[in-house]
Amino acid sequence: MAKWGMVIDLDKCTGCQACTTACSMENNTLPGESWQDVLFYHEGEYPSAQMKWLPRPCMQCENPSCVHVCPTRATYKDPDAGGIVFVDWNKCIGCKYCMIACPYGVRFYADEKPLIEPDIREAYPSENGQLWSPPYQNPDEDWQRGIGIQPPGVVSKCTFCYHKVKHAPEGVADLDEDNPEVKEYVPACVRTCAPKARYFGDLDNPESQVNQLIGDRHGVRLKDHTGNRPQVYYLGAGAGVPAFTPADREHDA
Amino acid sequence: MKLFQTLLDRRRFLQSSAVVGATAGAAGVTGLTGLAQAPQARAQTPRGETVVTKSICAQCPARCGIDVYTTDGRVHAIYGDTGNPIANGKLCPKGHLGSYFLYDPDRFKGPMRRTNPNKGRDEDPGFVPISWDEALDMVAERLNGLRDRGESHRFAHFYGRGWGASDAGLYGDFGKLYGTPNSAIGHASMCAEGSKRAKRATDGNDSYNSYDYRNTNYLLIMGASFLEAFRPYNNVMQMWGHMRSKSPKTRVTCVDVRMNPTMAAADRALYIKPGTDGAFALAVAHVILTEGLWDKEFVGDFYQASGRFISGETIPVDSFEENWVHGLTEWWNQELKNRTPEWAEEITSIPARHIRQTAIEFGSTRPAVALFERGPTGHTNGTYNGMAIHALNALVGSLFAKGGLGYQMGVPYGALPVNADDYLDDYARDGAWKDQPRIDMARTERWPMTSHMMQETGPNHLAGDPYKLDTAMFFYTNPIWTAPDPKVWEEAFKDVFVIDTSPFPGETAMYADLILPDSTYLERLQDSPTYPFEGWPMTALRVPAVEPIYDTRHFGDILIGIGKRLNGPAGEYYRELDSVENVLRHRAAGFAENPGDNGVNDFESWKEKGVWYKKPYHWRLERGRFYEWGGLDYNLQMSPEEVKAKLFKTPSGKFEFKSGFLEEHAAYIEREMGIPAERVGLIQWVEPQHSGGNGDLYFVTPKTPLHAEGRGANVPHNIAIHQPIVGGRDTVYLEVHPRTAQERGIRNGDRVRITSDLGSIEAECRFVAGHRPDTLVLPFEFGHWAQGRWAKGRGPGHSGEVTANVSDPISGLASYYTGKVKLERA
Repeated sequence: MAKWGMVIDLDKCTGCQACTTACSMENNTLPGESWQDVLFYHEGEYPSAQMKWLPRPCMQCENPSCVHVCPTRATYKDPDAGGIVFVDWNKCIGCKYCMIACPYGVRFYADEKPLIEPDIREAYPSENGQLWSPPYQNPDEDWQRGIGIQPPGVVSKCTFCYHKVKHAPEGVADLDEDNPEVKEYVPACVRTCAPKARYFGDLDNPESQVNQLIGDRHGVRLKDHTGNRPQVYYLGAGAGVPAFTPADREHDA
Repeated sequence: MKLFQTLLDRRRFLQSSAVVGATAGAAGVTGLTGLAQAPQARAQTPRGETVVTKSICAQCPARCGIDVYTTDGRVHAIYGDTGNPIANGKLCPKGHLGSYFLYDPDRFKGPMRRTNPNKGRDEDPGFVPISWDEALDMVAERLNGLRDRGESHRFAHFYGRGWGASDAGLYGDFGKLYGTPNSAIGHASMCAEGSKRAKRATDGNDSYNSYDYRNTNYLLIMGASFLEAFRPYNNVMQMWGHMRSKSPKTRVTCVDVRMNPTMAAADRALYIKPGTDGAFALAVAHVILTEGLWDKEFVGDFYQASGRFISGETIPVDSFEENWVHGLTEWWNQELKNRTPEWAEEITSIPARHIRQTAIEFGSTRPAVALFERGPTGHTNGTYNGMAIHALNALVGSLFAKGGLGYQMGVPYGALPVNADDYLDDYARDGAWKDQPRIDMARTERWPMTSHMMQETGPNHLAGDPYKLDTAMFFYTNPIWTAPDPKVWEEAFKDVFVIDTSPFPGETAMYADLILPDSTYLERLQDSPTYPFEGWPMTALRVPAVEPIYDTRHFGDILIGIGKRLNGPAGEYYRELDSVENVLRHRAAGFAENPGDNGVNDFESWKEKGVWYKKPYHWRLERGRFYEWGGLDYNLQMSPEEVKAKLFKTPSGKFEFKSGFLEEHAAYIEREMGIPAERVGLIQWVEPQHSGGNGDLYFVTPKTPLHAEGRGANVPHNIAIHQPIVGGRDTVYLEVHPRTAQERGIRNGDRVRITSDLGSIEAECRFVAGHRPDTLVLPFEFGHWAQGRWAKGRGPGHSGEVTANVSDPISGLASYYTGKVKLERA
């Protein structure tokens, strides 16, 4: 079985957030429930200021803090599914321990005050046990893996689009969207990335393009000191979490 | 509050412990599964039948081909079409949100008429549903009546985003058959007309450029929001990824008035004072010449090997042999010789050393491209600014070169089944309408060099000059909100019979007497020839992913439906034309003789593939010579006459540093801009005239990646991530340098008031130390007073309300970025 990994090249990323919207439509998340967010950071001052951005999916850690703290074993890492970390919505009780434990801030609890008023859940009210029921639903649903629209009161997160990835041919080294044979199995954020700043493949296969890029371009994992060992690697001059003031916080000045 | 919520959840967790085992069996798993709170466990559901339809995104002008995924009649996913040369399987952030337009809960569900005669922001139109027949009859009765009274010129069409032959392409014949000069008033003068006019004035092509980014080694980007809103945005980003990782890496210098993603990602970011881009470009040109870096094969050279351009010194007349350029000697002697980097530093505030470095890099890297958009051109001196930048492309020989820029070829469409000229009655040929100017006065003595002046319509109607409109029909444009100084429009259009065709409840719809809702783009059959892209011809097709889910119609069919009800031969013409589908079938017949590279040769194969295109681009500059494509290679050398006919459509047949087009209008330019008539042709520095009164801060209102043409205002996911500069999340902010704010006693996050001589708007401010201290930044799109439940009333204020209706006298482009304002705590 493959160990799925993602590589994000920050030298090519343009911060456009197509990954964010592709994810939100593929996975039918609520506004602001951005499983694949992009964070913006500022540093310095005119005329030599910097602005950086960091796309942030779930890191699908090899040693995930969230799994350790879950009291119901709702969140789990599945070595038979590429090492992806899932939330079983049949078991999740929405206690949010995993959200506190996660060093990357990539877990969401959407069953609360909406980010955008009026509440879109009132426009598309709940049906069939879902938290909300928009007309444009992805037909795939698998609550044991946190796929589809969640029920009320649970935590949600990126699944590496497992509902797509699971169809990948056995033994494939890379899921490259430019290969028509596997295009439909590529995670939404990778598939749509216009500057091709994202790559997806098997970290257990030394021949894979993701491993080649990690090797040649000195890929780094975020917050490696935590011991979480993400399956997401970053490339480029700005790789790593900038120690800047996040763009949506108060400036130091 | 969040802590409280967490405690609540914990308590519920403890409560649920009491029902251990209730659902364990159903879930079929071991361990602590009994704590599950879901009433019943759910596993995988079977997948329905998914159909993929070819369409084209409609959220900006780029026209990306899209694959629309529909299951059980519901659209649920949109991805880029791999077979579409613009999209290449990719999309920008807007593209994925397309399903929202189809399922927008606020969209109009059928034709309606107004019952409340009063119009205004606070007036409920009192719309009541009517049938399509009633609605179209009502329009026809009005139009026929106007025509009977000899007042058909008082009917005007207005359009924003026209797509092709099956919608906006129908306007010309409508005006001719019915008899109005106002079919149609386009939005170009509120868009990017300045770039087109700058190119018309220099190389004779009234168009945006196509670009060969794949082979470019240097980009000088000036005020184009390249990584936010430059067309075609999706493809521009694909090319960015390529340019920034190819060997050699494409080097990028970005010149802009504010921090933005392109500035952040460029190799060199230069912050320029608004409206002064022309001065920067002239200094770059000066250095290219003094350093001897110009392309001698394209531009020409001194007759004597000892010839030099020396700062401050003229060159002898007839000492320089011009090849494909016109007026270089006069340009240098009368303008450029003193345009040193030190001179430009005083005007632009960019240090001379940066200008010199940029010029040396740009002049010594081939191929190099200088591109620009509304930043430099959205000012009263916009055309001259644009000409100065475009001149850099000529100096380094990039026009029509590999890795350079060109123009867009047209599509070999088939003819319509009927010719409008065969259906003209006497009134259409010689009626009273023939003596009437357009309501916007474009192409008249008042605006002789413009193609459209939509922003003038509101004020002109209010003044009754040249006349009062009677009926106005709008398609894909919303000037009652988007025009500069829109309150004039709100007053003006109270007594006009307004027909809006947007499916969404925008401001223009709130003024409408009749709503004839177009279908949304995923429901439409519609052609779409490409915007300037890579030059070779291409046209894509929208194929409906679903039948219209409400009682809406394609705009083209609405127009044809009105036409069929016109009296006289015009009605016959439209009955022959029949429908949008019939139009498209006849257009597609042109592919039979010109099969596309993907095999598309008729209507059916066009629908299947979603796009027709035929590579390559037909012209190429190589080492100072122009060649035409001969079938296998660029091997047909072109004569100067052929170059003039096909490439440089100027009076001289060359690239003009001294513009014949401007010289034809010398008296007008002297009168409007104060430039001596004998100098108007020279590409030159002209001071911008800032509007807004005596404000001390520049005010710019850029388009962000989620904005483009502003169609996302009622899309909650769009609002939620509206970025990027200060992290909008659920709004956008007035972005200000902290020093500027602190001098006015403003703290980060304070509510502030922005004031021009037109009035004030309010916003929440955020400190951005990366911006120029003299420039305020407020993204466009917010501040709607209609447009749907999520758009309406969402702050901050609308920038247009403090933006004066002032335009570049040459291009007519509204000077959206030239206002000056005051800032204070609200």
